[in-house]
Amino acid sequence: MPDPTATLTIESISAFNGLDVLVARDEGLFAVEGLEVVIARPRSGERRLSAAEDRGTLVQPASNQGQLLDRHAADLFQG
Amino acid sequence: MVACGALTVAPGSGVYTPQDLAHKVVGLDYGNGTAYAGLQMLEGAMPREAITTCAASANAAERFAALMRGEFEATVLQEPYITVAVKAGCRLVSTTFFYGTWVADPDVDSARQAAFLRAITRAVDRINQNKREYVRYFLRDWAGRPEVDALMPEDFDLGRIQVKRPGPIPEADARLAWEWMASWGILEGSFDPASQLDNRVAQRVAEEELSAA
Repeated sequence: MPDPTATLTIESISAFNGLDVLVARDEGLFAVEGLEVVIARPRSGERRLSAAEDRGTLVQPASNQGQLLDRHAADLFQG
Repeated sequence: MVACGALTVAPGSGVYTPQDLAHKVVGLDYGNGTAYAGLQMLEGAMPREAITTCAASANAAERFAALMRGEFEATVLQEPYITVAVKAGCRLVSTTFFYGTWVADPDVDSARQAAFLRAITRAVDRINQNKREYVRYFLRDWAGRPEVDALMPEDFDLGRIQVKRPGPIPEADARLAWEWMASWGILEGSFDPASQLDNRVAQRVAEEELSAA
């Protein structure tokens, strides 16, 4: 069991790739483990890329997965 | 978590199989799991030189809208947009599943990792006992979008919603994934399990959960 005030910050998820995490949060399963899970919100410039010019290429994608972890604003991301 | 990706064409498309997509433009959200799933579905059906892709939005709603506008012949969708597309008359020409993998900052201690994985294990067990009940999460994510608001939980094919207890990643699987991505030029360098794969916490939690069952 972690420290009673332990917190874990994760990057944004949705049901298709994180249904289990969302259910664990909403049904208090993290709390049972003594863990608070915070879902970090990206800064405005780090939102999901949709503008055509921002999408990158297959070899050099412009995905923002891992951006928050890179700047130590999240502890985990799902890749 | 196991994610589902469906290679989807618009109503009226002449494409019925992945092979039919040779030299036709497929819109992919480069850098995301759905894009790599798309490449793998195409790669199993044609030589690489016949695979033709373009950059598409990382937003599934926008990819679906672009597909319907005819901006590309096919795209890869995930739920709830697979169900939206089917309801709109689109055709799924291939479906695949892929793992989402948690990547942790090196400073995350094993106690927090283990607590996180134990809670997810409990959640997976609950979801598997009543998947239909949890479909509402897919609707909630996209609430306010008319095409999603029009869906009912009964519209979803539960076979496309898969969750699995977390566990260690087999080294051979990680190596294969790395080498496949390197073969496309997406990653550089060689696979190094010592620095790129740490299964210790996942292994321990999986063993504890198994023995407690």
